[in-house]
Amino acid sequence: MQPAGGRPVNSGASGEEAAARAKRRQGVLLASPGALYLLIFFVVPLVLISVYSFATRTSTGRTALSGWNLESYRDIGDNVILGIIGRSAWLATLTTVLCIAVGYPFAYYLATRPRHVRAVLLVLVMIPFWTNGLVRVFAIRFLLGSNGPASALSESLGLGTFRILFTPTAVTIGMVYGFLTLMVLPLYVALERMDWSLTEAARDLYASGSKAFWKVTLPLTKSGIVAGSVLVFVPSFGSYVVPDILGGAKTLLIGSYIASQFRDARNYPLGAALSVLLILAMLLAVALNQRSGSGAEGGGRPRLRRRGRAGGEAETVTAAAS
Amino acid sequence: MTESVAAVEIDGVTKRFDDVVAVDNVDLAIDDGEFFALLGPSGCGKTTTLRMIAGLDLPTEGSLRIFGDEVGMAPPDRRPVNTVFQAYALFPHMTVRQNIEFGLRMRRVRNPELGQRVAEAIGMVRLAGMEERRPDQLSGGQQQRVALARALVNQPKVLLLDEPLGALDLKLRQEMQQELKALQREVGITFVFVTHDQEEALAMSERIGVMSEGRLLQVGTPREIYERPASRFVADFIGRTNLIEASVESPTMVRLADGARIAAETSMPTGSQVAVSLRPERVRLQPRGTAAADGSSLDGEVCDITYLGHAVVYAVTVGSTSVEVRSEGEVGEPFAPGDEVTINWDHGAAAVVAD
Repeated sequence: MQPAGGRPVNSGASGEEAAARAKRRQGVLLASPGALYLLIFFVVPLVLISVYSFATRTSTGRTALSGWNLESYRDIGDNVILGIIGRSAWLATLTTVLCIAVGYPFAYYLATRPRHVRAVLLVLVMIPFWTNGLVRVFAIRFLLGSNGPASALSESLGLGTFRILFTPTAVTIGMVYGFLTLMVLPLYVALERMDWSLTEAARDLYASGSKAFWKVTLPLTKSGIVAGSVLVFVPSFGSYVVPDILGGAKTLLIGSYIASQFRDARNYPLGAALSVLLILAMLLAVALNQRSGSGAEGGGRPRLRRRGRAGGEAETVTAAAS
Repeated sequence: MTESVAAVEIDGVTKRFDDVVAVDNVDLAIDDGEFFALLGPSGCGKTTTLRMIAGLDLPTEGSLRIFGDEVGMAPPDRRPVNTVFQAYALFPHMTVRQNIEFGLRMRRVRNPELGQRVAEAIGMVRLAGMEERRPDQLSGGQQQRVALARALVNQPKVLLLDEPLGALDLKLRQEMQQELKALQREVGITFVFVTHDQEEALAMSERIGVMSEGRLLQVGTPREIYERPASRFVADFIGRTNLIEASVESPTMVRLADGARIAAETSMPTGSQVAVSLRPERVRLQPRGTAAADGSSLDGEVCDITYLGHAVVYAVTVGSTSVEVRSEGEVGEPFAPGDEVTINWDHGAAAVVAD
């Protein structure tokens, strides 16, 4: 604190600038590996897909990168494709709703356990998530198959063979199972942050237990429901593996349809156009999530931001798992 | 308490959480219209007691009546009481108006009565113009008022307040103390409030129940509690005090270890070990030899002096103990460390407390 002439002041100002510069440099260094990786393996393919969506399919099934047109996007208007999109959207919605119905009570149970019990239960929730996805889907296929235990049980009860595999029901069961964790985690985060004195206040103000839930707990955990719904809806809308293994040819969904355009039909432009559409739909869903996240509750903006981050974590986990 | 029914009657109530006894066989009757404080350090069971009156915790044993009706096991929504929560617990997703309306709506009170009562409550706590704001847009004092209005709008028979002023800064806290007292007089409802702040309890309440380790140690007016503490804990917890070890010599006299005698009334049997509580501000300091030896004085030596501006605190060594003497409005520096002095007090200022 000694006033040592003008020197400390000068060096202080330039020192501040140098520190800011160092901080920026550090930021660039920290971000660049990830940014580079995403640029090469995410942005570049995405650009390629977009470019292909405007290209022409030649009569031999090759893709000519010339004569740019909107033909593929027009093809999406075809009734068959619209039907596939509609079915995918319906199945994704159903999956999301079922995930909420199953996941909310479960997350509630988790969040209201004592702290040390919660940690154990959370790991248990995560274990199927860390297991290879393909293995899990085949396990379900065996479970639901006509030689599987479900069928054996129904036969022993005299209900006849269990024919559920290769139906939309099987696909829904598989998708709910596959995406449930993505719903439970953000719901758990929201419920865990819940201030239970608020429900006590509601009870104190003559609300019954269920009224307190609908009027206080549910609205205050809405952000978790929204985040979980986006996390479940988006991947189930475009899901490919589960419908392919459990659904058979009867339940053609958009993910499988896109794959078939690239592999069998050799219609790269149409496959690319559908992919672009899927990405846009996903971006829209995320944008809606962001808006409801920042606008819904006047209170606790930092809280919401933290919730958003938790959702992001879950997203990275999915990416790693699939 | 002649013929009238007690507002709250707690009868042999015990609350155990697993193996921990939070409230231990408490008996307490709170009168209709009374401003009653439950006072004690954190973890003494005061909040649990309040929560049992509210129905947020249920007693393990005992019975609990509100205006004569047994409610011990009733859920919170079936009790004629409302609570002002510690951190207010205002619903963050609702406006001030929606918060205040909540209880009435749950009981299906409809307009125009609904609007009328809400407007009254808002006026009572002076929040007009704030109706459409959300709790996070209000200051701490305003949130506190919303919490009060939200509870009082239901016209409860008993209002429970859990550390209602704990989250406010000192100046606002003092203002709100006065406001709460005035409000209680205005509405005439029984207020039961929990606090760990003894000054707050003394300043606001008509009667205080002092709790420690789940037990209700003493119930009385602020004056009784302060001047006639029943136990060492109460004497020490309420205000500052000097506790001097002594043994009972007669119903009007105790004897210190060094043979000095202090005149004080006690019902304890002769020979029992007790402590004499002497409040620092009730004790005066005089040069040695100027006070009469009438059982209200002790000889000592000034050990340390602390200047506080409005008061001077002397640490006086008396025998083997140190006695704190607080002197206000003193002019100059009449004493210095090392001075031989006599401390004395008015007869009756010394209170005998049991362990």
